[in-house]
Amino acid sequence: MGDSGWLRAVVLPSRTTKHKPAAAGELQKGLTKLTAACNSPCRGWRDRVFAAAGFFFVAVFVGFVLLLIVADAFYIDRKAVLAVVRSGFIRHALWMSIWTSFVTTCLAVVFAVPIGYSLSRYRFPGRVLVDAVVDLPVVFPPLVAGLTLLVFFSQTTLGKWIQDDLGIEFVFQRKGIVLCQFLVSASFAIRSARTAFDEVDRRCENVALTLGCTRWGAFRTVSLPLALNGVIAGGILTWARAFGLFGPLLIFVGSFRGRTEVLSTTVFLEQSVGNLEVALAVAMLMILVAVIALTTIRLVGVRSEVRL
Amino acid sequence: MIRAEQLSFRIGDFQLRSLSLEAARGAYFVLLGPPGSGKTIFLECLCGLRRISSGRVFIDGRDVTGLEPRARGIGYVPQDYALFPHLSVERNIAFGLRARRHSSDEIRGRVTQTAEMLGISRLLKRNVAGLSGGEKQRTALARALIMEPKVLLLDEPVCALDESTRQSVCALLHRVQRKLGLTVIHVSHNLEEAFSVADRAAILNEGELQQVGSLDELLRRPKNEFVAGFMRCENIFSNNAPVETSGSPEGETRMMIRPEDVVVLPLCEGGGKNANEFRVRLVRWRDYGGYVRAELHGPVNLVAHLTHSAFARLDAKPSCELIAVLPPERIHVFGAPVGRSG
Repeated sequence: MGDSGWLRAVVLPSRTTKHKPAAAGELQKGLTKLTAACNSPCRGWRDRVFAAAGFFFVAVFVGFVLLLIVADAFYIDRKAVLAVVRSGFIRHALWMSIWTSFVTTCLAVVFAVPIGYSLSRYRFPGRVLVDAVVDLPVVFPPLVAGLTLLVFFSQTTLGKWIQDDLGIEFVFQRKGIVLCQFLVSASFAIRSARTAFDEVDRRCENVALTLGCTRWGAFRTVSLPLALNGVIAGGILTWARAFGLFGPLLIFVGSFRGRTEVLSTTVFLEQSVGNLEVALAVAMLMILVAVIALTTIRLVGVRSEVRL
Repeated sequence: MIRAEQLSFRIGDFQLRSLSLEAARGAYFVLLGPPGSGKTIFLECLCGLRRISSGRVFIDGRDVTGLEPRARGIGYVPQDYALFPHLSVERNIAFGLRARRHSSDEIRGRVTQTAEMLGISRLLKRNVAGLSGGEKQRTALARALIMEPKVLLLDEPVCALDESTRQSVCALLHRVQRKLGLTVIHVSHNLEEAFSVADRAAILNEGELQQVGSLDELLRRPKNEFVAGFMRCENIFSNNAPVETSGSPEGETRMMIRPEDVVVLPLCEGGGKNANEFRVRLVRWRDYGGYVRAELHGPVNLVAHLTHSAFARLDAKPSCELIAVLPPERIHVFGAPVGRSG
């Protein structure tokens, strides 16, 4: 059509210098080599060994934990289960365990978010020291944590003032359970929150600031939602630690039936008087509560990984 | 219009030193510089995200130095876009309007309008995680533009994109800037990018502004050797003879000529007819698609960028002798002559 006019005026290069097409045989050979490299049976075999090595360790660990639980379950008889179900003291201890660990977790998260954010975002003198102190309760031997609290509230002026003058009693009191759990487990929440805030891109916050947010607005609408999974993961760890806490509680608040007894101390009390079946039945109850709690959290959509 | 006056900022060993710069209203200004030269920090200072140690920032004549970032009327698109990964494309774009508590109807209308302008209407319900680089770029741009900023600051807006997407996004940026009459400061280390959008440009190095001007000025009349090098001029050399055109006294004079301005002729076409003509030996050459880069050794070592036809005319062979001509009008002499270095 229209191309006949101007095309004729263009002098095209002569066809004497041809681009040599690749020989069909060579091309075929190359393709075979490539296919062989991609589908190499050796590669698949190595991959399977690699995956199997990983799964071996998964299986050993999970199997070991399940084996222990099953062994406990077989040790318990019907009588022990009925004793646990019918005991008012154990029901009270269950309730105490649940609410104290829940309050402790809430309290820890309330502290963890600002502390984690501050440690992640701000540089200040002594930051490294503060960072170390935040982690310190994690490495406290459990009994030392209880002893430290006991000494503070019963031997120091400030502790005595809080207890006697302010009237906020902790030693051998229910409030002491929460304080003890908080001291020992809050570090998990703080560490996890700090890691989560570290992973939030600061430029996202900066953009939010230019788009009309105040510092608080940028934190509330950008940083916190992005760090939420990490904060919740820290909360889960805190709850787990608080729920199973035993040693410091025994020293700081004792184990008074119907008052400061929690499930972990019930296990101790029962086994110390020779009721091993009942102690194990209570332990199974603790495992059941933990499984229900963790599964519920997973089911409501928190699929975060715990990073420490 | 945005103007920085004697802006200084220090962080660790790095500092911006009394930086003064002005981008006129409706101008597309490109700030060039190698990585680590302080371009991003400078933008963050303009935004108010960093507290400057001295200096002033003016936007449309108003001193905004003491204002918070949200009160400056600046749109900011950081490197890698910093989209909010927990929000959809629509929510990302609407973020600023929501933060300023605009009505839902207004938000919906403006989001639709902005998305249409940038061609991302079909992406509004998508999650940002699944977007391509170009789509992310447009979303970040929409998020900034919906606030109708007086000045738009773009930090390496296309560096993460592939070549073809980069070109189309640059064209889009230029079109949008012209349509809205925006003042834009676009930070980049890429010359092609600058040429595709810039009205004016500046070069920054180690926190110091090296030169401000049109791209042609930066290219043909660089203020110093760093600018010349950054603008990819490889022919920087000294001459001990007095330079006739500038009439400068004796002394070592540093000068340059752009590789594309070097004329290379076959030996038979020499003979002293041209000024600044001398024999050179062709050391090596490489075809870069659009041009041939030839390295020539002679009284001064030169690099010439030749068209394919010009190179073919040379009938070049390795180590063959050729004639290089440096047209006097194309030679640029740097500043005042420096003393003899021996």
